[in-house]
Amino acid sequence: MTTLSWGRRYLLCRPDHFTVAYEINPFMHVQVHPDPAAAAAQFDGLVEALRAAGAALEFLEPAAGLPDLVFTANAGVVDGDVFVPSLFRHPERQGETPHDVAWFAAHDYRVTPLEGTEPFEGAGDVLPFGGGPGAAHGPVLVAGYRMRSTVGAHTRLAALLGVPVRTVELIDERYYHVDLVFCPLDERRALIAPQGLDRYGCRVLEELVPEPVWLEDDEAISFCANSVVVNDVVVMPSCTPRLGKILEGAGLTVVVAPVGEFLKAGGGCRCLTLALDVDLSAARHAVGGR
Amino acid sequence: MTTAEQGASSEVVHLDGHVVDSLLLAKVLDTIVDAGATYEILELQMGTTTTDPSHVRIRVSAADEAGLDALLAEVQVHGVNREDASDAEFVGAPANGVLPDGFYSTTNLATWARVDGRWIESGRPEMDCALVVVPAASSGPSTVEMVPMHRVRAGDRVVTGWRGVRVEVPSRADDAEGFGFMTSEVSSEKPKAVSLARVATSLREARQRRNAGTGGGRVLAVCGPAVVHTGAAPALARLVREGWVQLLFAGNGFATHDIESNVLGTSLGVSLGEGVLAEHGHANHLRVINEVRRFGSIAAAVEAGWLRAGVLYECVRAGVPFVLGGSVRDDGPLPDVISDTVAAADAMRAQLDGVDVAVMLATTLHAIATGNLLPAGVETYCVDINQAVVTKLADRGSHQALGIVTDVGLFVGDLSDRLCGVESEPGR
Repeated sequence: MTTLSWGRRYLLCRPDHFTVAYEINPFMHVQVHPDPAAAAAQFDGLVEALRAAGAALEFLEPAAGLPDLVFTANAGVVDGDVFVPSLFRHPERQGETPHDVAWFAAHDYRVTPLEGTEPFEGAGDVLPFGGGPGAAHGPVLVAGYRMRSTVGAHTRLAALLGVPVRTVELIDERYYHVDLVFCPLDERRALIAPQGLDRYGCRVLEELVPEPVWLEDDEAISFCANSVVVNDVVVMPSCTPRLGKILEGAGLTVVVAPVGEFLKAGGGCRCLTLALDVDLSAARHAVGGR
Repeated sequence: MTTAEQGASSEVVHLDGHVVDSLLLAKVLDTIVDAGATYEILELQMGTTTTDPSHVRIRVSAADEAGLDALLAEVQVHGVNREDASDAEFVGAPANGVLPDGFYSTTNLATWARVDGRWIESGRPEMDCALVVVPAASSGPSTVEMVPMHRVRAGDRVVTGWRGVRVEVPSRADDAEGFGFMTSEVSSEKPKAVSLARVATSLREARQRRNAGTGGGRVLAVCGPAVVHTGAAPALARLVREGWVQLLFAGNGFATHDIESNVLGTSLGVSLGEGVLAEHGHANHLRVINEVRRFGSIAAAVEAGWLRAGVLYECVRAGVPFVLGGSVRDDGPLPDVISDTVAAADAMRAQLDGVDVAVMLATTLHAIATGNLLPAGVETYCVDINQAVVTKLADRGSHQALGIVTDVGLFVGDLSDRLCGVESEPGR
């Protein structure tokens, strides 16, 4: 097993202002409020698990009136010292972008907005796969469209970063971001939830991932794909015995960090983190045909 | 024309990016086929490396405009965009009857113009006109009209260029066998019975549409003087009398000889009964014209009991409107003839609503004049002994015309026998 070349440094945001104030996905119900104390405790549990796995963490200042700012995965996409901010589909979340941009600008990233106005929701809908030692190919972006991001935005992102993109359609509104159906485990393996994909998307990922780990229905809907991988540790919102055995058989260590309060807003472990150490330069240096 | 374009609404779209490896191209093409539409890849630039984007231009064709719109909306989410997403451009007409530079010249196909992001279908298609955008009134959307050059008023918003304009080729898919066979090159060597059956079916179907009251179903007959010379007029009169014709276009010649034959028994002085020139027959048509001028109109001559039979007599009796267009070589002319040709064309236009079958009978000038006014969707039959007439009509843009090269006298007789039953009385 060759561990991922990224995923050792993350941006998070404490849930000081986290709540369910609007409904923009099927999990959100304004009548069902997360418990602030429980949410804070679960967040601390996640932080502890990530640190224990060896991750370095940075923190974005929480902001009143922006309850979903905790889901930093949707802030944008990082490639080396370039930060491409999101263009949120829903007005409810568009107020987050100035906070995200301010943090990255203050930390010496080159903030490079995507052209156009088509929606694009950052690392929530774009995950890198491959490209490191032992990989079958150079780095490729796996991107999800229809629910929150568009094919056009992904095409522009691929052109901006000079990286190949595999755009897959998300067909079930419960899996509204690609990080709910796809999770790179190492350079050859990834969790894939076919429940949220069409047959074309499944075939694309089958071609791309040498050793796919397909999720069962209960695993997919309990957000098993919304996990964070740090070296050989998989920090998961939940896990089944079946899946646990497969992952451990692959040499990975499973750590469950319960985030039930955040699931009330439709987010799991991955949604609460944004990898800061993604570097796709290998794709730009790659030569050759498809 | 390629297969994909035939009988369809089509639109050119493009798809860019890593669409091959993402199977987006495959998905889009599958979606098009699953919807019963067809595609034609006009351009495919494959990226040469994994990071190079591909570029694909596709012509998508569907059975109708609504189906095409729905399909394009469905594939838009996969990154497919219309190549022409711009509004139609328009410029004010500089003066009455004068079009601005670069005006869009219409075809006889159903035409849409994009105004404020919406595709608007023009009124009845007519070739060689201008497209005029009529701005929205206080309530209701903008409309688009096809306006002949002479009717354009200064300041009218005339569409220029080709952007934001598209046309729909009428579908013949439902009748591929009969029609497909007949539209092959015009020839005198076609079996006439097949053509005859086709026209008869067309007129019966038109009657069904009229009876159904869903609009349309009016049949137009366009007649040349040879209809009378060849002895076809009584059969045509019978078709009018029995309700198979709803509108008639002709000229001074046809009308004069129709009346002459019924009042004096000659056509251009030749006895229709014996086929020989009557004594002083050369002046017969002038005497007839003179009499009708005395009455003031053909209808008045019928009313007075002077004209008692014939095609125009039956038109007057049945209330079938007729438009007689004049020409420079007309004798008289009859008082009903509109000698201002622009006014005559306008009078013909005014009668065309609901016409969806047209039968041109032994006339070159009136057939072409009418062809210029008809939408391509009108079933058009051109019956003439001279193959060149049919070719000429098609060359003027009326591609929908089905040519039948035969003697009009025999053809109209057989047609009326088929539709009205064989008449037992001799002498036709």
